[in-house]
Amino acid sequence: MIRQAQKFLDKLELDRTGRPGRSALLANDDRIVGTGADDLCQLGHELLERLNVVAVALVEPALPFADFLIRKAGRAESCLVPRDTETRTFLHDIPFVRHQELATQPADQLARLLGNRKGILVEGLGIIATGAVTPEQAYINVSSIFHSVFVKYLLDILGEKSLSAEEQLALADFQKNWLKPLASDIAFAPAGTLDERAHILDEICRIGRETVRLGLVDSFFGNISLRHQETIYISQTAASLDELEGCIDPVPIDNSSTCGITASSELLAHQKVYAQTGARTLLHGHPKFAVIMSMICETAECPITDCWKDCPHVRQVGTIPIVAGEVGAGGLAERIAPVIGEPGAVMVFGHGVFAIGRDGFRDALAAMIATEEWCRNEYFRRLEANG
Amino acid sequence: MSVSGKQPFGWQGQALHVNLSTGTIHSQPIPGEWLSNYLGGRGLGVRMMRDYYRLDPFDPDMPLIFAVGPLCGTAAPTAARLAVVSRSPLTNTIYDCSAGGRFAYRLKQAGYDALVVTGTSSRPVALNITADGARLDDATLLWGEPVSATVRAFANASSVAAIGPAGENGVLYASIMMSEGNAVGRGGLGAVMGHKKLKAITVKGDRKTRVADPDRLRLAQQDIMRLFRASPVIFGELGIAEYGTPALVDLMAQRRMAPTDNFRKTLFANSSNYSGPAIRKHFAARKDGCYACPIQCKKSTPQGEHLPEYETVSHFGALNRIDDLHTIVKANTLCNEMGLDTITAAATLAAWGEIRGEFPTATELGELLAAIAHRNGDGDLLALGSRRMAQQLGHPEVAMAVKSLELPAYDPRGAYGMALAYCTSNRGGCHLRAYPISHEILRKPVATDRFSFAGKARIIKIAEDSNAVIDSLVACKFSFFGASLEEYAEALSAVTGHDYSPQELKRIGERIYLTERFYNIENGFADTDDILPERFFTEEGSSGDGISINPIDRTRFLEERRKYYRIRGLDDHGRFTDSDFLGQQP
Repeated sequence: MIRQAQKFLDKLELDRTGRPGRSALLANDDRIVGTGADDLCQLGHELLERLNVVAVALVEPALPFADFLIRKAGRAESCLVPRDTETRTFLHDIPFVRHQELATQPADQLARLLGNRKGILVEGLGIIATGAVTPEQAYINVSSIFHSVFVKYLLDILGEKSLSAEEQLALADFQKNWLKPLASDIAFAPAGTLDERAHILDEICRIGRETVRLGLVDSFFGNISLRHQETIYISQTAASLDELEGCIDPVPIDNSSTCGITASSELLAHQKVYAQTGARTLLHGHPKFAVIMSMICETAECPITDCWKDCPHVRQVGTIPIVAGEVGAGGLAERIAPVIGEPGAVMVFGHGVFAIGRDGFRDALAAMIATEEWCRNEYFRRLEANG
Repeated sequence: MSVSGKQPFGWQGQALHVNLSTGTIHSQPIPGEWLSNYLGGRGLGVRMMRDYYRLDPFDPDMPLIFAVGPLCGTAAPTAARLAVVSRSPLTNTIYDCSAGGRFAYRLKQAGYDALVVTGTSSRPVALNITADGARLDDATLLWGEPVSATVRAFANASSVAAIGPAGENGVLYASIMMSEGNAVGRGGLGAVMGHKKLKAITVKGDRKTRVADPDRLRLAQQDIMRLFRASPVIFGELGIAEYGTPALVDLMAQRRMAPTDNFRKTLFANSSNYSGPAIRKHFAARKDGCYACPIQCKKSTPQGEHLPEYETVSHFGALNRIDDLHTIVKANTLCNEMGLDTITAAATLAAWGEIRGEFPTATELGELLAAIAHRNGDGDLLALGSRRMAQQLGHPEVAMAVKSLELPAYDPRGAYGMALAYCTSNRGGCHLRAYPISHEILRKPVATDRFSFAGKARIIKIAEDSNAVIDSLVACKFSFFGASLEEYAEALSAVTGHDYSPQELKRIGERIYLTERFYNIENGFADTDDILPERFFTEEGSSGDGISINPIDRTRFLEERRKYYRIRGLDDHGRFTDSDFLGQQP
């Protein structure tokens, strides 16, 4: 347990979710074990004593966006409701506690909130999330909340006329120090060499790791596949894209075997894309600026309210189409397959990017990087234009 | 909560009590404290058993309880289920069994959260329940009839629960069948019903379940459905909505944990003959399922014949080395007609096959099942289940059961959480109490290492608590391949008007689990019953394809079991340190 806790604590710092040295991850086996900052460990210990869960993670985020959102929230509000897919599907909303509302001995107060949701925000402290089954689950929930807060804050401020000096400073620091160039110098398998199972699995694992290294996915979210002859090799559901060894399902395209019941929830989308485009590879990630840009719609007086699932239009950002649709059997698969072929990438409202490769993963990764880069530049152009 | 006066939100607040010895029938309010603290279904039934758990399963005073949940009759997905609760004649443990279909919904519509049947009738009877009352009718002419003929005799009923010849003849694993083909399958509660001479129960009603906050329920329902759609196991292309639970056949073979040859091996080369795609192809399988369920995981032929579940195809298949799909489907239909639990029937036959050195052939399978149901010839011994049968034949080691309940089709050497959960289950070797296959194999909500015991004690404990809640709501376990207690707590709060948090629900689940364990311990069960058959500690399974199926390390198993006891607040032998445990419960 302690090894698992340490592993995911390290990941939180490595992916720059947590501020260095300001996180803790604890697990409860027949006794509580934990690792991380002493003060956070102590609070985590008190929380685990009160909760019927396996793990808790306490993370001071590397970006102050959560605190900014809490301060901007109306006095009557007690939770954030980001509109991205991860929040809508898995988190529903994110309860928060203002600094002045935090009890001197806050364990009971925080445990009550954590008893209702997978994670919460505490102003000045950060993200606290639980794992009902494993420490990894606590890590995943922290990562999802970090992602959702990131998207909501940056989306919200596009509509604001002015930002406080503190926010402006934080944004400048964020641009200069947190954001990294999206350059990949990975060597791809040469064209025509991906015909053996072992090579295919190895290439999928390598590309998965690169996708995570570039920050194109959060926690394990995202999926990746390669079609070879009558089989789609696809990452399993709930598989970390940087740890795909042993987590790739071979799925026959005629569904003659159901071994792939553990495949990614987006298997249907992968199947439809391969059937309609003749692509060889498909990469799906949640690059943050693409998620943000996909949620900006400038259509005036539109009658559609639940646009993330109900919008029938193919919108466009730059050269990239945007469609609506929810995860898995939620309609996304039907909408991306007809439009992804020519541009090689498509964005899904509030969700992320699907990108294809004609031969190997070179085109797919390049298309995803280019999409995110374009969205990042366009985002800051719009922010600057706002003054 | 008060149930006096107005009907409460969520619950009907009433139980129908039927005494078959005296023929008396009356409705009685259920204490509100029981409903709020035990919810319904399994929890309510377990609470109602407090004054009776020491009785022999066939004692006339032993209750047979049918209990629905607060979500039944609302838009909360997969909640039109009920639990049947009593003491099992097969395991002697407290026992509950969950079933879908329409019976639960109609019982609630008739105005009841629970039906409590006690006593023994002097002649076969049928209990007919409507919203206007209930009556007992003579069923002598139906005694001996198979389930389908019995159901046909009640054409005007909205739903029927009936036993077949197996229940009448006291087969210790007789089931209770719903008219829609769903089974109260495991644990022999059909034999309890048969002993009471109760052939059938019909229900009909039109009462609504009151919902405190319909808008809040609609949002909760949307959240649940979104998670169903995001779950590959539920609505995925290869998931159970498409292929039913036989979708697991290929996966269990790939993971090399499909019990074969009475658990001597873990891979059956011809299992693809009865996989989900094979069943779809050969029987033109169509979707079927419980009332208003969006998943519709049951499969049936266009003619309406119900097709077997994963456990059934695998145990009549690999466990008995039968690879003919049509034989397996016929065996399933015959079990449904006779009112036999398919898992125990197949596992008992496999253990018997190991003793006699020959598994039942496809041609003799049907005759054997009929002999069991009627207790003819070898069937009389086989009707006792694998443990008693093997013991009487001098080979107790071949009974692959925990607490006399035959293990289902997940070999414990291929999933160590499953190994532990089979043993800590209060009703014996059941996969559904903690359902660790969810994370050890199906990666939901996250994956765990199936070949490691690390952390499994607490994971199993939490899952047992959660599943006790699910069985009390009563919702379908499959829902939790997508949703979680977070969403169902919201639905429950919306329906009842009382705010339940997931943590509070888990506390209720813990109370239910511990109550059951307390009953069992008081009835003589001990840590020596929380153990797997010796085979799993000494023999390896079918290793290959880079997967080693080794014997389970007994020392490590026992260490994790001790951890489990500690986490549960029990002593090192799994006993209660406080003899007044029940006195402290609501």
